Amino acid sequence: MVAAWKAGEATSKNIDLTTRAAVIKGDGVTKTFAGTVVALEDASFSIAKSAFVSLVGPSGCGKSTLLRLVAGLLPLSKGTLSVHNKPVNRPRRDVGMMFQKATLLDWRTAVENVLLPTEIAGGVTTADRKRAIDLLHLVGLKDFEFSFPTQLSGGMQQRVALARLLQTGADVLLLDEPFGALDEFTRERLNLELLRIVGDIGATTLFVTHNIGEAIFLADQVMVMTPRPGRLARIVKVPFERPREISLMQSVEFNRLVAEVREILGSHL
Amino acid sequence: MAVQAPRRGFRLWSLAGHFVILIGLIGLLELLTRFDIVDGLLFPRPSAIFESFVRIYFIQGNVWHHLWVTMSQVLAGFFFGSVLGTALAVAAGVNETLRRYLKPYVVILDATPRIAIGPLIIAWFGFGFEAKLVIVTLVCFFPPFVNTLTGMLTTDEDRLQMMRSLGASKGQILWKVMLPAMVPTVMAGVRLAMAAALGGALVAEFVSANEGMGVLMNRYTYTLNMPSAFASLFTLTIVGFALYRTMEIVEAKLVFWRNDAEMQNASRRRARAWAAR
Repeated sequence: MVAAWKAGEATSKNIDLTTRAAVIKGDGVTKTFAGTVVALEDASFSIAKSAFVSLVGPSGCGKSTLLRLVAGLLPLSKGTLSVHNKPVNRPRRDVGMMFQKATLLDWRTAVENVLLPTEIAGGVTTADRKRAIDLLHLVGLKDFEFSFPTQLSGGMQQRVALARLLQTGADVLLLDEPFGALDEFTRERLNLELLRIVGDIGATTLFVTHNIGEAIFLADQVMVMTPRPGRLARIVKVPFERPREISLMQSVEFNRLVAEVREILGSHL
Repeated sequence: MAVQAPRRGFRLWSLAGHFVILIGLIGLLELLTRFDIVDGLLFPRPSAIFESFVRIYFIQGNVWHHLWVTMSQVLAGFFFGSVLGTALAVAAGVNETLRRYLKPYVVILDATPRIAIGPLIIAWFGFGFEAKLVIVTLVCFFPPFVNTLTGMLTTDEDRLQMMRSLGASKGQILWKVMLPAMVPTVMAGVRLAMAAALGGALVAEFVSANEGMGVLMNRYTYTLNMPSAFASLFTLTIVGFALYRTMEIVEAKLVFWRNDAEMQNASRRRARAWAAR
């Protein structure tokens, strides 16, 4: 299953961000609403292939706006933004998104929900069907393929949403606090599974969170954002090796990084 | 969350309890009327009602024809009214110009009491079946129309965003999300229409008709044949209940995702269909 995903490129456990091509490039990205509300101002960044990047900051820092701009759901007010060297102006197949709410269709079974992107893109083949089932197994939902969303817990619904995201075959994943509505234990477990899956398929991931510890634990780089107006204050590199254990969050180096990010956010917290 | 059914044993006991109370009440009534404590004109003896039942259904058999007349008005009017109401609402939901120009007329018509329009419709269509059909159709038009239009206009923002992020076209969003999501709301409107249909048909008959259950009840009441009047009334109760129950079952099947038992059935069916591919 995983073998089918690898794009022929070996994934390394120690990620050297400087030698690989940039997948997401933003230059002076600005978004203004109704001509006056500056949600995001002059953000410039370059995200390499297979990198896991967190966007962290308090409310109003523009992290969700930035995500939606990359997704093509919002038009830019100023600046340039490209994915795979193609400018972003509408939702595309190589970019997939996951929201805080699973937003599954209640009248469809889990596997039918996973097949939704394939239906939208055009006919569903036997291969697509097999892949949907395999993806549900991958996210740990064996025996629930034909359950309906209202029969599933919040965590299970988000797993289906994740499988649906993977079904699109997108290699750029945009996640807007996907496990934010779940309890801490489920969130922790799903975060670890997410890291494993994303690492195996080599996807480039943008992960929005308001939790500093979570942002650092999951990512290779942390884009620290401050509000009023929304700005990209700094990009902090996370030096820890993968795979990462939860115990890492107790270490001194880890907490030093947390303190560093807090300082950047400084008066805005 | 979906609906759960109570345990079997509890239901049986509960049913037995209801039955005993009912028999008790009927028995009490029989005694009260036999000893003239309750005036037979206000509420006839249960045994007399039962006799009337047997007579109008089996011996004379005159109720069947009137029942048929009323029911055909109800079902035809319900069908036309609901279909027209739903279809027009979908069209108005999709097309903004249509909605803007249709709205004032619908609002005015909805505000006018249907009973008041009744005699006017009789004047236009005469005393026949058509007039009654028009009245029932009118009564059954509004709940589905209002509900469906509201459903069309209030769509889940999260779902729209999710579909847009997948690159879905407007048509795809309509067919895959909006219409299925609207089924519960439409069904609610349709159930209201059914509830109104029987009443609407009877009102039409009271205003002017020479056959139908409403006419039959009038005749029995005028001639002070209370047992038969009550027998007709109970017939209408049974019919009303049957219609209500039918709508409930249809809704449980159509909106299967809000009903535990139906979901389990659907899961099994789809798993089988999948394996068969």
